[in-house]
Amino acid sequence: QLLISFTMARRYDSSTTTFSPEGRLHQVEYAIEAINNAGTCIGILAKDGIVMASERRITSGLLAPAKTSEKTYKLCHHAACNVAGLTADANILIDQARLRAGRYEYQYQEPIPVEQLVEHVCNYKQSYTQYGGLRPFGVAFLFAGHDQHHGFQLYQSDPSGNYSGWKATVIGANNQAGKSLLKSDYKEDGTVQEALKIAVKVLNKTMDGTAASADKMELFTMTLNDKKECVHHILTLEEAKRLIDAVEAESASAGDS
Amino acid sequence: QRSPLLPLLLLLLLVSCCFCHSPFYIMSILEYNGAAMIAMAGKDCVGIASDHRLGLQQQTVATDFIKVFPMSDRIYVGLAGLATDVQTLNQLLKFRMQLYALREEREMSPQVFSHLLSTLLYEKRFGPYFVEPIVAGLGDDGKPFLSGSDLIGATVKDDAFVVSGTCTGNLYGMCESLYKP
Repeated sequence: QLLISFTMARRYDSSTTTFSPEGRLHQVEYAIEAINNAGTCIGILAKDGIVMASERRITSGLLAPAKTSEKTYKLCHHAACNVAGLTADANILIDQARLRAGRYEYQYQEPIPVEQLVEHVCNYKQSYTQYGGLRPFGVAFLFAGHDQHHGFQLYQSDPSGNYSGWKATVIGANNQAGKSLLKSDYKEDGTVQEALKIAVKVLNKTMDGTAASADKMELFTMTLNDKKECVHHILTLEEAKRLIDAVEAESASAGDS
Repeated sequence: QRSPLLPLLLLLLLVSCCFCHSPFYIMSILEYNGAAMIAMAGKDCVGIASDHRLGLQQQTVATDFIKVFPMSDRIYVGLAGLATDVQTLNQLLKFRMQLYALREEREMSPQVFSHLLSTLLYEKRFGPYFVEPIVAGLGDDGKPFLSGSDLIGATVKDDAFVVSGTCTGNLYGMCESLYKP
């Protein structure tokens, strides 16, 4: 699609603030393309929580990781996000989100509704597609959060500043393959444990070629504890390994019947 | 010749004064609401205590007003002074603690917290928060930490005890005589 209009597009792609004759913003579209090379992220809404699974791209064994994760980030006590795209760009936006959540809670003494947090980040992204001659952020997010009014929610956002709520979705490399698998396998009102298994299955499909292993996957869950507080949990290596083995066993036995 | 009505007018003025609130003139805005706050260190432990009175000068308005706040499992802050600033500073400190935990992925130590408090107060150097806080906590190594500061962030660290509020004279006296390391 992009190839056909390449020669026409050249005149209109260098500036974010210019529409092409076909009514497209090429810089924004190119930014979205950048994300299709990033590590896959899957988000699944369950009735008792949310699951976010991502592919960890380990570029070198010599890397000493500074933070707990390069994919999953806590934004406030009731929201977290998964990143697909340029990590440097993501860091700016994550900081923006954290500040916004904190300031809202400081002002209203109440946790920020998840959609408002998502909308704030997206409005910030949008301003880089309309003002200042700056390039858009090359990041797509999966936001997972819980609030009193709408329960558990999953949102996806892209460099254009557009966002939408999902029951299950995939971003990053091979997201089309992931989405088609989700369409057939996703069950509404599943539990977090069931959602985890589906997430691993989808990740196996999108990471095709590479053997599925616990250190190449990052599995995150958000649930409520007895005190109705949000619990953010990244599965340990052992927990992830157990899950992957269980999924492999199920798929092997499914082939037999 | 003065008007014969003048003494009458003066009498009327005096009488009308008697119907207003009885005047208690405060020395400082820091004494408007009242507080008694103390923190003390022991062997591998700290304690912090305060009164629960909220007053409007001499009138007691509440007896359940909280002035000591847990900032984390290992840090407590006692805020003595104007009640509105006590509440606001508590909320502000909570916000800053949360942001630190998100960015650094670890809890703040009491020394760092004390510095943060000092910086926050000095930012308002020419329009300060009317609070004189005390910080009591356990450091990363389990060592007790105490500090107190004035309303514009001048901090003092101590190994024994810190006091703050409207009756520091009494509190200092008790501490000096009763404290045992």
